[in-house]
Amino acid sequence: MKSTGNDIVALGSIDNQRTGQFRFYSKILSTSEQALYHQPQFAEMPFKNYVWLLWSVKESAYKYLKRNLPGLVFSPAKIIIQHIEIPIGGLGKLESIQWDGNGDNQAFYRGKVVYESYSLYFRSKINGEWIATVVNDTESFENVYWGIQSIVATGYDHQSKEARTLLLSRLHSFFPGNLQVGKSPLGYPVIIKDTEDMHIPVSLAHDDHFVAYSFILDPVDSN
Amino acid sequence: MTMDRKAILTELKKVLAPYTENKEMLDGINEDTDLIKDLKINSANLVDIIIDAESQYNIEIDFNSAEKMFKVGSGIDVIIEKMNLSA
Repeated sequence: MKSTGNDIVALGSIDNQRTGQFRFYSKILSTSEQALYHQPQFAEMPFKNYVWLLWSVKESAYKYLKRNLPGLVFSPAKIIIQHIEIPIGGLGKLESIQWDGNGDNQAFYRGKVVYESYSLYFRSKINGEWIATVVNDTESFENVYWGIQSIVATGYDHQSKEARTLLLSRLHSFFPGNLQVGKSPLGYPVIIKDTEDMHIPVSLAHDDHFVAYSFILDPVDSN
Repeated sequence: MTMDRKAILTELKKVLAPYTENKEMLDGINEDTDLIKDLKINSANLVDIIIDAESQYNIEIDFNSAEKMFKVGSGIDVIIEKMNLSA
């Protein structure tokens, strides 16, 4: 079954001191990932950004896989990032908060993440306020849609509502009509149109003052 | 000294409090309570909770045990197991 998974981490809500403690990051990063940080391409990346970049990739991969592996439990150190390429030209400027799969590959952090026999690919963005990731099962992100928005208020219910609203506003450009976000029996979000499940894989994320979505369309729907 | 499950549950509420928005829900937790689905705890705080529990009980919680701690009851199982190991 086709799937999608995304995540967002608000940098303002993380505990910088704790992130730098071995007992904390060793519960997120595998030994190989701890070693990967010492590669030259990460020389200018603060360690806290590295830890939470990898966290966002792992959480996104977990969400992607959970659809097809309902019994999967999130265990970050068991989802392994194999390699990371950094954006050409460093962090660069953030041009947009909404992308589709045709965006410039080189503007993203990108790489491969594996869990047991499953391999996924990721794209991530980092700015001064957040780290966000989306994953897919191929290196191409064609027909993958991904958006991020800041919100004024926090609180779980408000964040959840804002994330759904953002997702639906993007989906409406492809599917006019009465769309709603429901929940599958396994707990992942589904898109309902006139009481029918549209079988569009979607993913939602929120943290602090930021909400995000991802979804993937069949090529015929995206034209 | 051995702690019973009820005493651990009471202490766990204090560990979970900084990461739980809904204090009323926290007051009413039981062994079936799911930390993410029921208490709406941000998944990014799960590692904080593991570390706070390690400090609270002076134990070490490995990856395999940590992944069982998404429910209060299984979290109590892990804490008791690790406390017995370090006794």
